Amino acid sequence: MELLLQTLINGILAAGIYALVASGLALAVGVVGIVNFAHGEFTMIGAFVAYLLFVSTGLDPFLSLGLAALVLFLVGAITYLGLIQPVLAAPELNQMLLTFGLSVALQNIALLVFGADTRVVSTSYQGATLSLGSLSFGVPPLLAFGLSVGILGALYGFLDRTRLGLAVRAVAQNRLAPGLLGIETQQVYLLAFGLSAALAGVAGVMLSVMLYASPTVGFAYTLKAFAIIVMAGLGNLRGVVPAAVILAMAEALVSTYVPGGGGWVEAVFFLVIFVALTWRSWRAA
Amino acid sequence: MKKVWMVLLAVLGLAGLALAQTTVRVGVLLPISTVAGKAALNGVQLGVDQVNAGGKVKIELVVVDDGNTPATAVPALTKLMTVDRVDIVIGGLASGVTFALSGPVKQYQPLFLCIGAASSVVEQAFSDYNRFFHYHPWDYHNVAAALEFFKYLYDSGARRVAILYEDGPFGSAGIQTYRQQLERQGYTVQAEPFKSGSGSFTAILTRLKGFRPDILYWIGYDVDALPIAAQARQVGLEPKLIYGAPPAWPTGFEKNKLSNDIAGMTAWLPSVANNESRRFVNLYRRKFGEVTDEYMAPMGYVIALSLGKALEAAGSTDKDRVAAELAKVQMDTPFGPLSFKPSDTGRTRYQGFNQSIWLQFQYLEGSRRPVFPPSRSARPLRFPGNY
Repeated sequence: MELLLQTLINGILAAGIYALVASGLALAVGVVGIVNFAHGEFTMIGAFVAYLLFVSTGLDPFLSLGLAALVLFLVGAITYLGLIQPVLAAPELNQMLLTFGLSVALQNIALLVFGADTRVVSTSYQGATLSLGSLSFGVPPLLAFGLSVGILGALYGFLDRTRLGLAVRAVAQNRLAPGLLGIETQQVYLLAFGLSAALAGVAGVMLSVMLYASPTVGFAYTLKAFAIIVMAGLGNLRGVVPAAVILAMAEALVSTYVPGGGGWVEAVFFLVIFVALTWRSWRAA
Repeated sequence: MKKVWMVLLAVLGLAGLALAQTTVRVGVLLPISTVAGKAALNGVQLGVDQVNAGGKVKIELVVVDDGNTPATAVPALTKLMTVDRVDIVIGGLASGVTFALSGPVKQYQPLFLCIGAASSVVEQAFSDYNRFFHYHPWDYHNVAAALEFFKYLYDSGARRVAILYEDGPFGSAGIQTYRQQLERQGYTVQAEPFKSGSGSFTAILTRLKGFRPDILYWIGYDVDALPIAAQARQVGLEPKLIYGAPPAWPTGFEKNKLSNDIAGMTAWLPSVANNESRRFVNLYRRKFGEVTDEYMAPMGYVIALSLGKALEAAGSTDKDRVAAELAKVQMDTPFGPLSFKPSDTGRTRYQGFNQSIWLQFQYLEGSRRPVFPPSRSARPLRFPGNY
C-alpha cells in the first residue's frame, strides 16, 4: 500500500511539469493553429536563461522565472512575427516543416554557443524532501508542481475572466467570426504564441533545477507534451491537466510495478496515445 | 667580412635544420562538441606543440568533427583520406562511431591511433588490421578494475547492489557479465533499465528502495547524474554508496552538494602524483588557462607525444615505418608507463594501457579525489557516504 501511495505521489508530481510544457503547446495549436515542433527548444532556452543567471549572478533559478518568461515571450513574439505569421495561410505541411527547421536551427545554435556539455546548477533544496509518515515528497518537484498549478490556474483565469482571454478563446473556436466582430486576430495570435513560449520557458527553468541545461533538454518533454495534447484533444486546454496526470501515472505505475519497467517508458507513451486515439475514434463513430 | 660569414653559416645551419625536420599532416577525428572530445583535442594540440617545439618533427593537424555519430564520422574520415590525404589519423572516441569507422579505415589503410572505443566489438572489428594502435583499455579491463573496487566494498560490508543501467548499447551491453561477476563475488544484485535523459527516476528508485541496496550503481550518461543523485534522496533510498559510470560528468556537478560522496571511475585526475602528470597539468594550465578533470585530455597528449617519438625515430613520414617505431615506444605518461603489446584476447597487435590505469574517485568537498586503489588514493573512501 505504501509503495502504491508513493508511486501515485511520484506520478502526480511529475504531471505538474508535463502539464506546464503541454499547456504552452496546446495554446499554440489551439489558438494559432500551428504545431510547433520548436516548443522543446523554447524550453531549452528557458533552462539556459536560468543557468546563465545562476552562474553569472548566483540567482536562484526559481527567482529567475519571471525574467525567463519575459525573455521567452519576446522570443515567441519575434518567432511569430518573423516566421509563423508569413506561413499561416500556407499548407499545414509547410508550417510543420518550418517549425521543425526552427527546432533544428535553435538546437544547433545552442550547440555552437554552449557546446554539448550538460550543465547543472546548484541549489540548497535540490535533494530536499518533505515527509508525511513513510511517504516522501521531493521539494523541487513539489515546488514545480505547485508553480505549475498556480500558473495554469492563472492562465485558465485569464482565458475565462478577462476580455482579452475571451478574445483568445473566441479566436481558438472560430478564425473568421471574431475578426468580423472587431477582434484583432493577428494580435491575439501574437499574444497566444508569446504566452506559449513563455510557458515553455518557465518549464525550462524548472528543468534546469531538477535535471540540467543542455541543447537537447527539451526534446523528451516535447514528445510527452505531444502525447498529452493528443490525449486531451488537439487545442483543448482543459484536457491538458488530466491527460498529463494519466501519462505521468501510467509511467510511474509501469516503472514501479513492471520488472524492467524503466525501459518501457516510451512504450507507455505510445500506448497511451494509441489508446486515446482509438477511444476517440470509437466515440466519434 | 667575419660577420657576413657568421650570418651565412647561421642561415645555412637553419636551412639544414629545416631540411632535416620531418613534417607530417595528421588527421584528428573527434566529437569536438562534447566534453570528452574537446578535452581530447586540447590534449592532442598540447602534445603536438611540445613535439613541434623539439624541432626535429613538425606535425600539422587537420581537425574534423565526427559529430559523435557514425553518419557524420564516416564522411569526415573519407574527407581526411581523399581530400586532405593524411596517412595518420588520431580519433575513435566513442565505440559505436569507431565500430562504424572500421570498414572505411580498412579501405583507406591509414595508421589509426585510437583514443577511446573500449568496446570489445571494436577490438573484434579491427582484429585483422595491423595499423591499429589502441591506447585506451578495453572494456574487460574496465570491468576488471571496477570489480576490484567492488571486492573491496564487499570486504567493507556491502552485500546488495542495485544496478540502474541505460537501455542502449552503452549501458546494457555488458550488464549480464557485470551481474554474474558481482554475484560471484557474493553480492545480491537487482538490475533495472532506464531511458537515459528521461529525468524520471523516482518510480524506479522507489521500486529499488524495497531492495535496500548498499550500493546504487548507475551506468548511463552525464545527463542522468543530477536527477539520480537528487531523486535517490527524494525517495529516501539511502544507499551506502552511489557509484556512477558515465563517460563524462556534467559541467558544474562537483559544485553541487548532491555530488558529495558520489564515486566513479577514471583513468586520471589532475591530482595524480607522478612527474608526467604534474608536467601535463602545468602545460595545460599555461596553454588553456584552466585544468581539466577529463582523462581524454592526457590521453590525447600521450598519443601526440608517442607519435612524435615514433616519427623522430623513423626519420620519415612513411606510415609503416612510423608504425614500426611506434610499436617500440616506451615512455612515461600521466597514466604511468606506456608500451604496446598484443591485447589480452590476442585479437589486436598493439594495445597501450590496461586496467592498471583505472582509479576510483569520490566527489569530496567540490572536487574528485582518488580513493582506490589504496596505492593511488589521496583520501580514504567515505563509506558509507552521506546521501
